[in-house]
Amino acid sequence: MPPKPAILAFDTSAAHCAAALLLGDRVVLRTDEMAKGQAEHLMPMLAEVLAGEGMVWTDLDAIGVGIGPGNFTGIRISVAAARGLALGLGKPAIGVSTLEAQVTGMGHNMLVSCLDARRGMVYVQEFGRGQPVSKPLICDLTQDALPDLPGKAEPCVTGDMADEVSRLTGWQPVAPVMSMVEGIARRASSRLDNDNPRPAPLYLRSADAAPPRDPPPVILS
Amino acid sequence: MSRTLTLVGLESSCDDTAAAVVRLADGRVRVLSSVVVGQSALHAPFGGVVPEIAARAHVEILDHCIERAMAEAGVGFANLDGVVVTAGPGLIGGVLSGVMFAKGIAAARGLPLIGVNHLAGHALTPRLTDDVGFPYLMLLVSGGHCQFLIVHDHDHFERIGGTIDDAPGEAFDKIARLIGLSQPGGPAVDRAALSGDAKRFDLPRPLLDRPGCDMSFSGLKTAMLRARDAVIAANGGLSQQDQADLSASFQEAMADVLEEKSRRALDLYLALSPAEPVFAIAGGVAANSRIRAVLEQLCREKGTRFLAPPLALCTDNAAMIANAGIARMVAGQVDDMTLSARPRWPLDQTAPAQLGSGKKGAKA
Repeated sequence: MPPKPAILAFDTSAAHCAAALLLGDRVVLRTDEMAKGQAEHLMPMLAEVLAGEGMVWTDLDAIGVGIGPGNFTGIRISVAAARGLALGLGKPAIGVSTLEAQVTGMGHNMLVSCLDARRGMVYVQEFGRGQPVSKPLICDLTQDALPDLPGKAEPCVTGDMADEVSRLTGWQPVAPVMSMVEGIARRASSRLDNDNPRPAPLYLRSADAAPPRDPPPVILS
Repeated sequence: MSRTLTLVGLESSCDDTAAAVVRLADGRVRVLSSVVVGQSALHAPFGGVVPEIAARAHVEILDHCIERAMAEAGVGFANLDGVVVTAGPGLIGGVLSGVMFAKGIAAARGLPLIGVNHLAGHALTPRLTDDVGFPYLMLLVSGGHCQFLIVHDHDHFERIGGTIDDAPGEAFDKIARLIGLSQPGGPAVDRAALSGDAKRFDLPRPLLDRPGCDMSFSGLKTAMLRARDAVIAANGGLSQQDQADLSASFQEAMADVLEEKSRRALDLYLALSPAEPVFAIAGGVAANSRIRAVLEQLCREKGTRFLAPPLALCTDNAAMIANAGIARMVAGQVDDMTLSARPRWPLDQTAPAQLGSGKKGAKA
């Protein structure tokens, strides 16, 4: 029997397939960088991670999954796989946001988690002692658009846009203490006893769709 | 020896999320359940299916559909022999969601994974509903596709013609929006046409002057736009009668093209001397009353059985996907966890590309 709880977390919200197998206090990590092909690579990679510990899928107590924000298609790849696994295993799948996952284990009083949202924008969320104190949002990467934090709070910032955000705000950039996927596994573990909703993608950006430009004809009555 | 197989099927290649359970027993396939959740309301404001909106919906609906389908069939995971999923062609975000769901279930339960071609699902439906023998002629006509196939076997489809541009179902949607009818356009145009004069507007019958079974509908859409604009220029808008007449004229042009091209396809098919000739139609446009009437009459002329599966199995559904999966599984054609989702995947890999090319490959 593997140590309890046994949680497999994974994430494909960026150019990688990342997995963390949490076995009690021990964690097994694997990240394969790739720009594309995650849909083909993910499941065989997860099976290898399990096999490396002499485990099979049914040994797991829960699935942890990164729900974004990040690449839309990438998020869906993992969320769909996690929900399929949860259904088949009869075990919970627990969704963890990438903004939250990357600050796991960081106890700063005021910490801004940020991720590149492309097109000159950034995803941000504020945390206090590891817990969210604001809703995640997407905003322009400008001083005016970023959240207004009181200077005396001495905010820190972490994430892949920490240096850029720091230049604009003066917040102090700090390095994460664990990989994002380990953060997903540890957050999922802490919520094991909760009544968790099915993981759903956290897009933060609306679907690119506009109503047709040509107006409908006038209908004479 | 007869084999019993119970499979769950998933379909998410366009704007319907679907799951179904089918069972092969005593040589026949039965549909134990078929759940379809449509997304029309989500896409209606945009005048067509928006891929990103469709993908977002699929990923949060699929497991609910699967649970419902299994409950309605009275089947648990322990009763399943495999998981079948549409692996293409279609809107890639939706296909990908379905494929990853299927992989998750298959991995969790140690079940075989079977990826099927969405078009094969449609093309094999006459086998499911009426146990039709090979070879039969198939007209696949929907919002995304329009092609004539001679179905020789569950994995041997010969494409003898198809659209070189738009699909009729898409044209119906566009036309409906153009003349102020509701979405989805097919049923709206069909209804309006009932009280319309099909001869009022002189619309083209594209490609009828050319040999073969290929079709084109983009010019017809342009002609409709001109006809509409002429009425609006004259009267300042469209009356209900204008809407009806435009609908009837458009539908008649569409029916004429499909009738003549079907006649040619039937000639090619009947030259194979099939024992019990069958012409089957599938896809949403198969529901159009005028097109159906015209093709039925044509089949009577040609001494061929006309077959239109019940609408629920004609439009997108997962029972047809599971049914196609059974044929593949019986033939030992099982996939592994590296199964890819394919936006483009012509059924007939030998016919020259008719539509689309380049990096993504042929669409049809």
